[in-house]
Amino acid sequence: MSLAVEKEFVFTFSSKDQKSTLKVPVTIPLQQSASDLVGRLVAAHNLPCYVEDDLKKSLEKFVDDETWKFHDENAEAAIAKVRKDPSLVDGLVDKWSGVFKKEVKKFADNEAVSEEEKFADVYHTLIHSPALETLLNLEHEYACTIEDLIDQRDRDLQHLENSQRKEMETAVQNVGVMYTDDQINQLAQRHFENTQLIDSKWSGELSNVKESQKKEYREWVMTVHQAMQTTDRVPAYLQRVRALSLTMPEAKEGERSSQSTTMEESFTIHLGAQMKTTHNLRLLCTDVLDLCRHKPHTVGGVLVPQPQRLQTAMSLYSSNLSGLILLVDNRLNYYTGLKRDFAKVCEMSTDFHFPAMDQQFAHIEKEVVIANEFRVHSRSTEDGDSTSIKSGGSGSSDGQDKANRIQTGDFYMTKHSNLAEVHVLFHLVCDDSIRFSDMTSRHPVILSIRNIIKLCFRYDITTITIPLLLAHDMSEEMTIPWCMKRAELIFKCVKGFVMEMSTYSAQESRTIQFLVPRGMSEEMFASISAMLPSIFRLSNSIVVKSSSPNSA
Amino acid sequence: MSLGKADFGVTTFFASSHPNDKCGVNGLPLTPNSIKVLGRFHFLTTLRNPSLCNYLEILKGKHECLVIISEYFQQNLKKLCIEKKLSETDILKLAFEILEGLVYLNCHGIVHRNLSQENILFDPEGHVKLSEYGMYHMTDWGTSVSFPIGLPQYMAPETLCGGPVQVEEYTDKPIQPPCGPKVDIWTLGLVLVEVIMGEELWNSLTLQQTIYKTLEFIKRDLHPLDVIMQEHKNGGKLRVMTKGTLDLLRQMLNLSPSQRPSAAELLKHQVFKDMVEEESPYENGYRLFTSEMRSKNLELPRIEDIGNDQDEDIDHLSLRSMEEVHYLWKLAGGDVENVLTKAGLLKTKSPIHLIPRYKSLKMQYTILMLYNNQRKILDSTSFYLLYPIVSKIIHVITHRVTPSPSSVDLSETANLPLVIREKDVDYQFHRIILYDRLLKAYPYKRAHIWKEARVDIPPLYRAYVWAALLEVEGDIQALYDSIDKETPTFTDRQIEVDIPRCHQYHELLSSPTAHAKFKRVLKAWVVSHRQYVYWQGLDSLCAPFLSLNFNNEALAYSCLAAFIPKYLHKFFLKDNSAVIQEYLAVFTHLIAFHDPELSNHLDGIGFIPDLYAIPWFLTMYAHVFPLHKIVHLWDTLLLGNSSFPLCIGVAILQQLRDRLLSFGFNECILLFSDMPEIDIQKCVQESIRIFCQTPKSATFRQHARPSQREKKSENRPNLSYYSRDYNYQQACELSMEAVSIEELKSEKCPRISAEDLIELGELAGPVNSRSPTKKKPTSKPKLLVIDVRMPEDYKRGTTPDSVNIPFQTGFSPEGDLIPCPAVQALDSHKSQIKVVVGNRGRNAANFAGELVRLKYSRVCVLHKGIDVLRSTAILTIPPADI
Repeated sequence: MSLAVEKEFVFTFSSKDQKSTLKVPVTIPLQQSASDLVGRLVAAHNLPCYVEDDLKKSLEKFVDDETWKFHDENAEAAIAKVRKDPSLVDGLVDKWSGVFKKEVKKFADNEAVSEEEKFADVYHTLIHSPALETLLNLEHEYACTIEDLIDQRDRDLQHLENSQRKEMETAVQNVGVMYTDDQINQLAQRHFENTQLIDSKWSGELSNVKESQKKEYREWVMTVHQAMQTTDRVPAYLQRVRALSLTMPEAKEGERSSQSTTMEESFTIHLGAQMKTTHNLRLLCTDVLDLCRHKPHTVGGVLVPQPQRLQTAMSLYSSNLSGLILLVDNRLNYYTGLKRDFAKVCEMSTDFHFPAMDQQFAHIEKEVVIANEFRVHSRSTEDGDSTSIKSGGSGSSDGQDKANRIQTGDFYMTKHSNLAEVHVLFHLVCDDSIRFSDMTSRHPVILSIRNIIKLCFRYDITTITIPLLLAHDMSEEMTIPWCMKRAELIFKCVKGFVMEMSTYSAQESRTIQFLVPRGMSEEMFASISAMLPSIFRLSNSIVVKSSSPNSA
Repeated sequence: MSLGKADFGVTTFFASSHPNDKCGVNGLPLTPNSIKVLGRFHFLTTLRNPSLCNYLEILKGKHECLVIISEYFQQNLKKLCIEKKLSETDILKLAFEILEGLVYLNCHGIVHRNLSQENILFDPEGHVKLSEYGMYHMTDWGTSVSFPIGLPQYMAPETLCGGPVQVEEYTDKPIQPPCGPKVDIWTLGLVLVEVIMGEELWNSLTLQQTIYKTLEFIKRDLHPLDVIMQEHKNGGKLRVMTKGTLDLLRQMLNLSPSQRPSAAELLKHQVFKDMVEEESPYENGYRLFTSEMRSKNLELPRIEDIGNDQDEDIDHLSLRSMEEVHYLWKLAGGDVENVLTKAGLLKTKSPIHLIPRYKSLKMQYTILMLYNNQRKILDSTSFYLLYPIVSKIIHVITHRVTPSPSSVDLSETANLPLVIREKDVDYQFHRIILYDRLLKAYPYKRAHIWKEARVDIPPLYRAYVWAALLEVEGDIQALYDSIDKETPTFTDRQIEVDIPRCHQYHELLSSPTAHAKFKRVLKAWVVSHRQYVYWQGLDSLCAPFLSLNFNNEALAYSCLAAFIPKYLHKFFLKDNSAVIQEYLAVFTHLIAFHDPELSNHLDGIGFIPDLYAIPWFLTMYAHVFPLHKIVHLWDTLLLGNSSFPLCIGVAILQQLRDRLLSFGFNECILLFSDMPEIDIQKCVQESIRIFCQTPKSATFRQHARPSQREKKSENRPNLSYYSRDYNYQQACELSMEAVSIEELKSEKCPRISAEDLIELGELAGPVNSRSPTKKKPTSKPKLLVIDVRMPEDYKRGTTPDSVNIPFQTGFSPEGDLIPCPAVQALDSHKSQIKVVVGNRGRNAANFAGELVRLKYSRVCVLHKGIDVLRSTAILTIPPADI
């Protein structure tokens, strides 16, 4: 069996009494048309024009015959192989039935529509119907309960801490008098255990409430949807919830005003040499968690949802998702720093659509193990050029590779439905090397941003927020030159990545938000915003036509 | 092929996606499979046979989804078998028609591989129409999709023995050789057996057992037909067939492919003896731009038949071609994806459910896993009818078809912007019918086509209209065939480097099929124009023609070959610097002529056209704009002469004027390194205006194409005042002559020939116009002559109505003009062309340069000075009092 064979084509013709023979090797199957080959032969061998027709005829016949022969031989060879070795049959049957089962619906095991998808469909229809307001009110009501609970928990814990501190203080003062060192230690131990106990009690209660809320909510959604399908009238449930919402607490005066003013600037840009695609860029100076934190308010008993929240809810199951890159360390937990703050934001209300954070993390952990196995495996088989991207920064030796280790430049994703402006969070693993000013475009974190943008294109995440300086807080080493250099690097890389990804995809426009930490000076913000148009080509501003010299 | 009673059907499937970041052997990222399919598909639209459903269009959706639109009929073999029992004669007729279709496919190198009862369709007359036959071809022998093509029970033994398609990792080429056409014979045999038995093959067996059955034939001595007869309860029905039929089936189900006859051989089987005579030879419709005899087999309808045409009930729509109807349907708001989504056929999971959880930097694994979730299974290739929607919309229009297509109510539409006109169904429908008729009469109707092209060109026929405007004629296919496009040459490398960078945002042009075609057309041009070389930019020039004539390389080549001498004469010489330098110098003059302020600014910062305009002119803007803009630009460009591109350049600068005036050198360079958005419609109008206001001799270039034998002039309309080249006019001593490049560069203003001066100034009285500029008979002279000689020379004789501003005394030390009555006259004629006339020597040119500096627009210099006019006897003594 072969993909192509070479056959010799012989053609004889006579002119006057001279007989000429032409022998040419011809590849079967012939890629171009026979008449093309005739043209080539005539030109190359300077053949007289009167043989052209004959040559064409005989070449066409030759190619035709040989192609049939070629196919027949291949087919016979395939059959002969099996005939010779009948044991192959079972393997072939398995292979064929495998592909048919996997790829063709008719033979596939009936893939039931999952609960999740059903709910997604129902929710998507409801949120785009008059029930929208009720739905949001309900969500809000539930959120208030949770908030209340969290408030109580915090107070409880605070109280406990206070009393423990007092106890400890008296104890420490009286060391050697009433208490021995040992006793102090025991006290500390007891305090710790108490705190743990209270904490777990609360978290148990919280998760119970959340679980039942989620169940209730989902049932409610399904019933409403069914009711909507059967009746056209506005069902009674709407009134019920509205009445409930009256009892909601009045927002505090301070909360009602929007968060502290943020510096913000928007740009519309064109990318591409000939065909331009339009994209929106926004430079934004705010705290990263402000994009997540969702704080509903009531004014005079009426719910005032943030408009962003509405948008986020409506686009949850659409193909306009929004994502956010959060820089994290390589430990898969949320006990410290920004991760903890973020977890707190998530905790504030029940996620009615996706599993809670710790469940999502548990799934990720499992996948990390599989991924690391794969990584070790691919490293051993990897030859130089087969992987186009290599992480330079994660220079750990194989021995160190624990099964659940996450490397710099890896990222994991969590999905959320209860955040203000974000559906998908990319937790991008970074190390201290991102603080250096000599970071290059081959740094694993940058390459990872490329992969994130690629995923955004693949999964219809049309809005993505990227920390421009790769930092969530201003720190000492972030001098003006450092910031400018970093901003330029990220701008240029992101530009390149977006251009790369939009090569074969439709001309869709995307929104990219560049986030700079709060606390940046206005001058610095201004200079970064001035740099942007020098890297991205802004779209034509509408210019009021000045009088042209000709019409003057 | 006309629409007739056909419906439109839609098929969707997903191409398989490549793993993350996989690269090909050349190091470039792999072309997505959907793009590959897109490129290969287009060949299928050229297949025309009465036994086949036509393919019409392919659309690429999001995420490798492909939507294919083709002719479709509701009746298929499966339904037919349920409705009625087929007699043996019916079955033989069926077999005969299917075989005819297969023969046609074999001739074109297509293997069906997908034959089944559901895709053997019937038109209302009961004739077979095969559909879905292109799947195996367009997916590159099944390598571009992850699902197998064909149904398991119909797979030929040799296909099964080869195993499912596998591809080589880095080349994406299949490992097994492709299937031969004889697999279809096997399948057809089985389909016929099923029809006779009235029972599905192996219907009680599982998938594995079904596949095993076919493979088992290899081991057994019994003929497959006998096995089937034994193992099916209706097997007895086969036995009662006549000997001939049984023999036919036996031959079809021959296990050995080499002994299994081909479709063509089977047609000669004795059972079909009677049918061969019944079939009339298939008549191929006349195709444009071929050397086929267009009146071959022409049969005029009888007079009584013509009478029927007046019948109110005639379905005009069914007479139009399927491509037209489909095109109109899209214009009328038809959106296939929309229709599919509404019908619930294009259903994907919401993306949020598909997002993976963890992704390591180097890994492809997560993404691979995910694609299984997103797989769209072949079963989605269900048909959905588009036709009902079409007929409703078109119905309205067809009832308004009047004998003269350019009816009155359309003249209003004709004044609307082009973008709107191109979207107007009503208008496009009329334009299409009009152009259809005109093109069929090409080249006889060439003049008429030119006239209509000045209004607009309907996108559906643009390829042919362009070819007509470029005067492509003759046996272009034979010419193209005779060119050696395969032998490697020195330019191959450069061509291969350039093609993957040329208009690759265009889905079709980025496909491997397009790359191959690109290479062939470019090589053909280079090989057959020995005096020229390949310069980068030729690829861009080729792109519009190739994208329009994707299935007709010969026409694309002929258009390219006709376009280059018309607009880019000598540009592709190995040493083209003289040609380009002259072109740019004339361009500089033109800027100064129309916009002295901009010209002064650009000169001041040293931003000369050499820095930005070479790719403009070398590619006729094809490198600068996206294809959808180029076609609009070239629609007009093709009507103009070789100087028209210069005016487009000025128009582009005009659009960017405000920014350019405020920019320094670096910003200007940056601006043009990545061309900003240009409003093409405005640009075209502006360039026409500029062209009309430029004396023809001002754009004279010695390297322009010399006059050709004007043998076709009688065909070409003279009314197109700007379509002729200056060089094509008879030269006389008053005409423009070659000027050295140094001289051109040293002057700021263009020169005007004496004959243009005489004509524009109407110095010789109203004569038959040879000059381009349109004028009303009542308008005053379009130009003002400024005589810059010394007053004593001036008084001895000058042109009528001229003013005298001597060069030596005209300017104040500050460089301003010293006010005098002559200067007043100059100021009051601001918008007119100012011709500076002097003696031989540089005074006139320098004076003109000063005027430009003072922001006087439309200044030009009389070529060869006042002396040239002496022979014309128009010089007069000026009135003494000035």
